[in-house]
Amino acid sequence: MVENDSVTEKKPRIRPIVRLGFFLISHSNYVSLLCFLSGIVALLLLPILANNTYISENALMPGSANSMLSTQHVSHANKFINDLTHSDIESHKTVAQYMSALDAEVTYHKFYPQLNQFHPLHFFTSSDSGIISKNISCSSLGINVAGIIRAPRGDGKEAIVLVTPYNPKKVGPGEALSLGIAYSVFSLLSRVTWLAKDVIWLVADSQYGEYSAVSAWLREYQAPVFHEAEIVNSETCNDSIAISELGQNPYSDRNSYGGFRRAGTMAAALVIKVDEQGNHHEDSLNIYPEASNGQMPNLDLINIVNYLGVHKTGFRIKVKKMFSLLGSRWLNTLGGIFESLGQIARSLNPQWKFGISATEYVEGAATLASSMYSQGLGVPTGSHGAFRDYQVDAITLKISPKDSPTKMIRRNDFILRGGRLIEGVIRSINNLLEKFHQSFFLYLLSSSSKYVSVGVYMIPFALLVAPLPIVAASLHADASKSTLQSTYSSEVEVSHKSWKWLNSARKVLVIHLWGAVVSLLPYFLYQIPNSTPTTNFTVWGILSAFSLIILYFILGSPIFEAAPSQPEKGEWASLKSVTISTAFIGLSLMSVINFATAEIGALLIVPICLMARPLKLDAQARSWRALLRATCNLALGFIAFPPVAYFLVKGAFEDFNGTNVGDYWNWVESLWTWNSATYLYVGIVHLPCWALCIHILFHPC
Amino acid sequence: MSTKTETPVKKKNQKKIQCFWSWVIGSVILRLIIIYFPKNLNLSSRPEVSTPLTSIRRLAEGYWLKQSSMSPYAGSMYHGSPLLLTLLGPLTVKRIEGQPDHLLCSLVFVIADVVTAMLICAAGKKLQAAYSSSLQSIGLHHLSEDSDILPSGDFAALLYLWNPFTIVACVGLSTSAIENLMVVVTLYGACARLAPLAAFGWVMATHLSLYPAILIIPVILLFGYGPDAPPRKLFRQRTNLEVDDSASGDRSCLEDELVNEKRMLNVFSWRPVVLFLFWALLWSSYVLVLCGIYVQQHSGLQEMFKSTYGFILTIQDLSPNIGVFWYFFAEVFDFFRSFFLIVFHGNILLMILPLALRLNHRPCFLAFVYIVLSSMLKSYPSVGDSALYLGLLGLFAYELKDMQFSFFLFSGYVGVSLLSPVMHNLWIWRGTGNANFYFATAIGYACLQVLYLFSLISGPLLVLILLLSLFSLLLFLN
Repeated sequence: MVENDSVTEKKPRIRPIVRLGFFLISHSNYVSLLCFLSGIVALLLLPILANNTYISENALMPGSANSMLSTQHVSHANKFINDLTHSDIESHKTVAQYMSALDAEVTYHKFYPQLNQFHPLHFFTSSDSGIISKNISCSSLGINVAGIIRAPRGDGKEAIVLVTPYNPKKVGPGEALSLGIAYSVFSLLSRVTWLAKDVIWLVADSQYGEYSAVSAWLREYQAPVFHEAEIVNSETCNDSIAISELGQNPYSDRNSYGGFRRAGTMAAALVIKVDEQGNHHEDSLNIYPEASNGQMPNLDLINIVNYLGVHKTGFRIKVKKMFSLLGSRWLNTLGGIFESLGQIARSLNPQWKFGISATEYVEGAATLASSMYSQGLGVPTGSHGAFRDYQVDAITLKISPKDSPTKMIRRNDFILRGGRLIEGVIRSINNLLEKFHQSFFLYLLSSSSKYVSVGVYMIPFALLVAPLPIVAASLHADASKSTLQSTYSSEVEVSHKSWKWLNSARKVLVIHLWGAVVSLLPYFLYQIPNSTPTTNFTVWGILSAFSLIILYFILGSPIFEAAPSQPEKGEWASLKSVTISTAFIGLSLMSVINFATAEIGALLIVPICLMARPLKLDAQARSWRALLRATCNLALGFIAFPPVAYFLVKGAFEDFNGTNVGDYWNWVESLWTWNSATYLYVGIVHLPCWALCIHILFHPC
Repeated sequence: MSTKTETPVKKKNQKKIQCFWSWVIGSVILRLIIIYFPKNLNLSSRPEVSTPLTSIRRLAEGYWLKQSSMSPYAGSMYHGSPLLLTLLGPLTVKRIEGQPDHLLCSLVFVIADVVTAMLICAAGKKLQAAYSSSLQSIGLHHLSEDSDILPSGDFAALLYLWNPFTIVACVGLSTSAIENLMVVVTLYGACARLAPLAAFGWVMATHLSLYPAILIIPVILLFGYGPDAPPRKLFRQRTNLEVDDSASGDRSCLEDELVNEKRMLNVFSWRPVVLFLFWALLWSSYVLVLCGIYVQQHSGLQEMFKSTYGFILTIQDLSPNIGVFWYFFAEVFDFFRSFFLIVFHGNILLMILPLALRLNHRPCFLAFVYIVLSSMLKSYPSVGDSALYLGLLGLFAYELKDMQFSFFLFSGYVGVSLLSPVMHNLWIWRGTGNANFYFATAIGYACLQVLYLFSLISGPLLVLILLLSLFSLLLFLN
């Protein structure tokens, strides 16, 4: 009995889950290595794990009806194109005339191009109605033309939007062709009886960029501003007032209404473009789905286009891919390995068919990399991105013809095929009963008919970041244990032992504040007139370093240091554990905001976070292992430095040609003009974590 | 000799006081800066900050209804106290040219925050005095002397003022700042043994948000036994030891000890408690009369109770917040609703008695735990409630210096408070997420609070109950 008691006292029963936790923490080195490597392997496996797309929403029924677009519509469209390219009067009037001839309601929308503005938290706050900047001359006024067909069977509460961007100053042949396709569909839709949603055809004035035109129209549509005195005033300076002229137009006596016209809520939007150059192979259709901050339209929208393109109109559907990866040798080898593995698996059990051919693998990987890169940048790939800010699903369809549009022989045929595709898509969306909600919003495309859903692509990321909390916990446990041993003598010290980390937390907080300051600096640098990117970048770097030094002095001053003690033995460990936890929190947050950024960022920052260890300790150890670790640390520290990381990522995904330091500035500038969350990630998570890791490397322990 | 040693101590104290005040002023300046910040922060419409009970916009609406001679509770917009309407209502209407909209209101909240902090500081001083006197009586004087750290009251006050949750709640114009003030008034009044003040605080806090009603138990204990002390067992042990040691000592010494013991054990004294109850009765009737006058024209006090306490208890508003109730009651079938209402509110009541038994020698700490508990299980929680208990944590900094999981909790709070707005954004603005995304952070937050409570009062039974109730909720949902 007594013995039993003593045994139970010696070995308190620990629950298995707690024991597992202790096991993980005590073997954190191996666990983290294993997790990290399996994370990379899982990432490379993603093209194999991609599923085939399927149309999830039953109501869509793509391709169930025969196309009604006839050659008659096409010949009308041809006439329209000729008028547009050869007429003397301003092109937007031509467009308006043709629209009102189809009994559509026509409105002009005047807008000023928005200047680049810095909304650091734009992705986070609700979309605010933009601030109209003052003192813009009348000449920079853009005019969008929008035609609305009211649905005979609808109640005017829903709408489908067609967008064709064009430059009224110089209508290119491709733009004219895209307008022609849209016109042919529009002329058909004005006569059909099945339409249940209104159709809006927006001819966007792209002389100041198509995105700003579309977003200005959308802002007016969704969130009108009621202090428009400036625009009304500016009408006086514009001699050709389109609206008043439209009132005298014989075509549009009942459709002449000066104000802004609306249809219902938008179910979906299609941006139609035609490539200026032919690709000499075949007629193909490129889909651009990425909106700001890696948001994607509902997968069903892409599915319809893909289905109709492949099965009905015979376009070759393409998604952007990285051509640099296609030829890379290591990827081909990897594809070969996976193929042979798949064959072996199939020979063992014919039921297992996860292997795909090497070429398929490489294609999938290149597309996936491109999808991840453009999502990770957080910059929309076309004017469809403006729609996503209002929760409207939209994609850009860029049709690239076989021959160049200028010397096209089969123009009628081309318009017919393009028009039939658009008609089919619109008919499908017309069938929708609710908003798009059935299919995925969070996915990566690995070809136009394959996708990787959120449940799959989160696995590599989770494996990559899983070591962070484990290592943080083990370091924290070690640090608190060592301080417990070293300072048992004095009772006062003991009193803080479980709050020891507060000191490190303060440092980490200050460095993150520094990161915030650094990411705010370009806002001020942008005010400097006539500066080249290179000088801007240099000034930015110097100011950042300067602010870091100032913060360092403030941090070292006695106000902050409660007890100026010499650096302790375990100090770097506790600092590292806090750093790692903040990196973990930051990466997890970013994975919710924009997954692709978090994935790429994790690949860069996680190794240095895990490996960081004072160089001095390694130098003292004087073993091959320590030396290897020190070199690894230095190399990783160099790689994770944001500009270096940028050039590496760019080199991996794009080409290396003509890189200079100013490129980084340009990139940063593009990020913050597009309100990308990636910018904040780099400034507030990546840079401070890197700085802290470097601090740990050179820690005087 | 004595003067020599005193001067550096004094200097140090002076320096500390200066430091303290500069930090207080700094926090006020920070609040003013954020108030003047352009509107795109839009904190007052965040679900984490303003609940249906504490939102200033609803208050302004209620005031407007009252001004147009309708009942302020018409249309289920306003659910607060009529007294707040008279206090803050006129300020919501008044605008100063060129200044932010709700400037005067925000100034009121800033003042409330500062007063709260000062009261916490004063309460901390009282607690510390009681603590060192009880240490002396056990004979561990040296422990109290070498505690060179910042006094716990000052520390708690600064913690309260600089807590991001407090700042966000203050700038987000949530009336929880005033509710917190009333709770702290209660605590201070009870620590300083000022029955009228404590009664006033308690009545007002209960009137404003109902849940502080459970604070009556710790307040009565405070008045009965005095502030926190080590368990009574300890005193007895101590005296026994001394008796053993000085067995050969003379008899008078032993008698002294016995007297001392009697004083320290101080049996429950009824007089201040009765005084407190009397004052509470007085104040509550006064408040009721005032409210009655205010809502006289519009169906009287009954409607007021229905749309304040009734609204809290029946959980009519299911708009998302950081609690777990909204999701649950959006899912539950109507015929189970009243049953689950009883279960959920019973949860708090279930916890009250065991905690009171366990912590009856430390009423202040008991009050603190009750505050944590109610802010966890209340029907419309907001960050303002967490701000209060996180600030009060500083009062017990000395006792909680060995707190487990402190780092984990800290990271958890940081993570959840950043994740919650992002999830909300994903659900409401981007439309790519859904309600489960936001509710997941609410669950995470609830788990964190359970862990927080666990590390405070390592009472496994209690945690088991809490976790069980949480998981039963989850199971039910699935």
